[in-house]
Amino acid sequence: MKKRILSVVLAGTVVFSGLLTGCGSTEKKTENTATEKTESKGEEKGSEDTIKIAVAGPMTGDNSEYGIGFNNAATMMAEQWNEKGGVLDKEIEIIAYDDKNTSEEATTIAQKIVSDKEAAGVIGHFASGVCMTAAPIYQENGIIEISPSSSHPDYSGIGDYIFRNNTIISKEAAASVDIAVNDLGKKNVGIISIMTDWGTNTSQLIKEMIEEDDSLGATVVAHEEVMEGSDDYTPAITKLNEAGADVIICCGMYNLVAPVAKQAKQINPDVEIVGFSNAYSQQLIELGGEAVEGVCFPVIFFSESDDPEVKEYVDTFTEKYGAAPSALTSQAYDSVGLLLTAIEKAGTTDSEKVKDALYEIEYEGVTGHTKFDENGDVDKEFVKVTIKDGKFVKMD
Amino acid sequence: MNFVHTMETFVEGKKKILLILLAVFLIALPYMLNSQYLVTVAVKIGSYTLLALGLNVLTGYTGLVSLGHAGFVAIGAYTSSLCAVKLGMNFFASMILGMVVAGLAGVLLGLPTMRVTGTYLSIITLGFGEIIKMIAMNWSSVTNGTLGVKNIPRPSIFGYDLTIANNGLYYLMLVLVLITTLFCIAVVKSKTGRAFQAIRADELASTMMGINITSYKILSFVISACICALGGALYASLIGYIDPNTFNFDVSTLILSIVILGGMGTIRGMFVGAAILIAFPEVSRFLMEYRFVLYGVILVLMMRFRPQGIMGWKSTMPYRLSKNVKEQVEKMDKNAPLNLLNETKG
Amino acid sequence: MLAQQIFNGLALGMGYALIAVGYSLVFGILRLVNFSHGAIYAFGAEMAMVFIGLNFGIVPGIIASMILTGILGIAIDKIALEPLRKKHSMPIASLITTIGVSNIITNLLIVFLGSEKRNFPQLFNFGSVKIGSVVISSTQIMMCVVSLILMGVLVFIVYKTKIGLAMRASEQNAKAANLMGINVNFVISFTFFLAGMSATIAGALVGGYYQIVYPNMGFMAGLKAFAAAVLGGIGSLPGALLGGLIVGVSESMAASFMGSTYRDSIAFVILIIVLIVRPHGLFGRKGITKV
Repeated sequence: MKKRILSVVLAGTVVFSGLLTGCGSTEKKTENTATEKTESKGEEKGSEDTIKIAVAGPMTGDNSEYGIGFNNAATMMAEQWNEKGGVLDKEIEIIAYDDKNTSEEATTIAQKIVSDKEAAGVIGHFASGVCMTAAPIYQENGIIEISPSSSHPDYSGIGDYIFRNNTIISKEAAASVDIAVNDLGKKNVGIISIMTDWGTNTSQLIKEMIEEDDSLGATVVAHEEVMEGSDDYTPAITKLNEAGADVIICCGMYNLVAPVAKQAKQINPDVEIVGFSNAYSQQLIELGGEAVEGVCFPVIFFSESDDPEVKEYVDTFTEKYGAAPSALTSQAYDSVGLLLTAIEKAGTTDSEKVKDALYEIEYEGVTGHTKFDENGDVDKEFVKVTIKDGKFVKMD
Repeated sequence: MNFVHTMETFVEGKKKILLILLAVFLIALPYMLNSQYLVTVAVKIGSYTLLALGLNVLTGYTGLVSLGHAGFVAIGAYTSSLCAVKLGMNFFASMILGMVVAGLAGVLLGLPTMRVTGTYLSIITLGFGEIIKMIAMNWSSVTNGTLGVKNIPRPSIFGYDLTIANNGLYYLMLVLVLITTLFCIAVVKSKTGRAFQAIRADELASTMMGINITSYKILSFVISACICALGGALYASLIGYIDPNTFNFDVSTLILSIVILGGMGTIRGMFVGAAILIAFPEVSRFLMEYRFVLYGVILVLMMRFRPQGIMGWKSTMPYRLSKNVKEQVEKMDKNAPLNLLNETKG
Repeated sequence: MLAQQIFNGLALGMGYALIAVGYSLVFGILRLVNFSHGAIYAFGAEMAMVFIGLNFGIVPGIIASMILTGILGIAIDKIALEPLRKKHSMPIASLITTIGVSNIITNLLIVFLGSEKRNFPQLFNFGSVKIGSVVISSTQIMMCVVSLILMGVLVFIVYKTKIGLAMRASEQNAKAANLMGINVNFVISFTFFLAGMSATIAGALVGGYYQIVYPNMGFMAGLKAFAAAVLGGIGSLPGALLGGLIVGVSESMAASFMGSTYRDSIAFVILIIVLIVRPHGLFGRKGITKV
């Protein structure tokens, strides 16, 4: 009998606490929206003394390194602004949202950000596919989204509130092909790509690029698509190897490039690996060890740069978070800077005005000179980077 | 269990008022929440209630544990959204098509029940879920492979779009859940439902009673599959995007957890189970990674202390006789047994 | 190409076989699909990495992790599963419990170690052997050797020792075994310990093969190993080995001849076919029904 009572009590508390937390959050929400309503007359967003910026990305899961990097960079930029007195005399607050890098979760997150009506803008969503499912929600509700990483051609076309601080993929693909064919001098290109919007699109572009441009004199000998997150790429690499590939262009994040490099070196020690800027991360070296020696890729941002401003930024970041910032993290850092500058220029957090300001401003950041074109895209110079003795260095 | 008895008598007595209150509450809910996000969560809870109701027919009533119901959800979601995206079909037509396809798959999955029982059947369903995922991944000319289906249109009635913003999707969910619930109650109370429960209680005995076990099991699979496909179609139009990994093993276990947590073989439990397990990760976002640890703890503790589920009490109400039987009882002479006794004596 | 893929698959299959043993042992005694086993496997691999990172050295690090993971297995049984057995709950309650436990372990790993993939040291490195066009790396050879030795040890324990006798007795009839003076709860704990140990070795070997470990590594590997266990006939050690090899080789073949999207599911296609033809797997015994 005692046990029965216990179980009923337990079940009761579970239900009750569930309801309670449910109601609790609803109350909070309605309160927020209530204050929102009175406030929205002045078209001001956020509560009175803070301006909130949402950072959405994978905070947990396979790609959490990127999301956490976004959040760290954004927090650092916000702190720097806060030391100077904030923006529009208000303190800046960064709120992190975890989308686990899945489109499903991202739509829910986007709905949450949109209905909280607090955020002056969103920095983020990491993968192109995820960005492209969340972006229409932001566009519909007039919230600015700046993705530091999305490079799919269709992304910025979704609407005028949608920006990116990353170059469109065709430019980066051209840079990668240039490294493989001209710098490394290899003519038999093998491609390994992950099966996501980004991977499929990028590999397609590279194929077309190499096949259409006869001046390169190179051919694509094989193209293998692999699943993101599987650990065994030997079947694909074996096939590339049998097809005679002497360079592998690896369309994937560090968690693809590192194992591919390892497994490829076991099969054919002479093969060269070329990656993309999203492989640029300290994790690549930690995970890949010796095998990633000599892996090359183009990046917009390079932490070993001589520019004093970049140096200062890298030093502060390293001191604060224990590792040098990666390219995408730095792009996130500048994205926050861009958004805040635009808010300052517009003199308000009203999305429409900030959006207009974003199209106008020119921003000097750690990732170079930034100016959005009419699509909300940027154009930047690439630096070619390779790994030597366990460190990223510029290619000669 | 005096508590249950008092509560049930109370509910039974005030049934009409409570139902009206509930209806008013549910209809007014989106206005009370006043947030797109919370309405989204509410619709999500509704879709999972549908899925749980579907699995409940199979697991709760017929006693067959399925670990691959995400497969049926995927069939429903894919069929309906592909018809909507590629063929421009109306949501309701494509939804029904999805249910039909899932029903056929249900027949297919039901067939092994002739040879395989118990845990092995669960394992086959697990495999089924994975194979559906594989088909979705590889039949790229139709399903778009791992890239998934994007921009799934919202349902519309007579040109009026049902979205989250105008609460249309919420009311659509409400109507679908209501219809499905009524359907489930009707099935459970029918001859078919009694056959299901007989199979769960004792297969051998039910064969002896003349129940065709195989065909009832298959029927149970089909009903379950159709309801899950319905839930899948709703879910797809809510999220607006699906890919093969939307329907992985985690979804199957989540649906099963809802059924068990709510109370297997009860209809009421599905609502509570879905509300708790879907709302929990949402309201506890601030806990970050810890919320899934806690989620596991809840499952373990529930199974430890209340394995029959939150709403899984045995009814203390007297068995309700059908109208037909009641009339016959009333017609009967109350003294019949006495008369019989006298007759035999005499 | 074909021969190469078969060898790749065999090495992979040995890993699956070692995980499958864990499913098989536990299922044999409890008739319970232990869904937390994939998480235990990941736990073993992660802990091995942590211990090696603490300068334990490779072999002591793995042994320390084996013991810790074995204890984790016992803890799962004592804390979560034994109370359910005492209450004679429905089998499905235990099943859901293992799913819950799997959630707890995986997410605690994520909380404390982070969810990213980490480098695992290469265990064996003495070049590779070339037979014709087939290149077999030392890791692959050692994976097969270690797995076979371990299988031998397990077979010895189960068939030649007293505790093994007790395990087999409990498997056939727990109640009768109890009446014969066998401490069934101890036997079950011991089984969980063995399962945890073999999972750790599998984790270390597979981790060393790919040189990668991460908390979610047990999810797909666990499901596939489970398919392997059922395929070979659950409760049978040679069955687990054969099942693992079939899954490994078919996976490797599917990945190279059909595309990488088939690799994760091919195991289940084979599983379903086998179960429909032989409902108790290839080596499974018929006629044991515990209700």
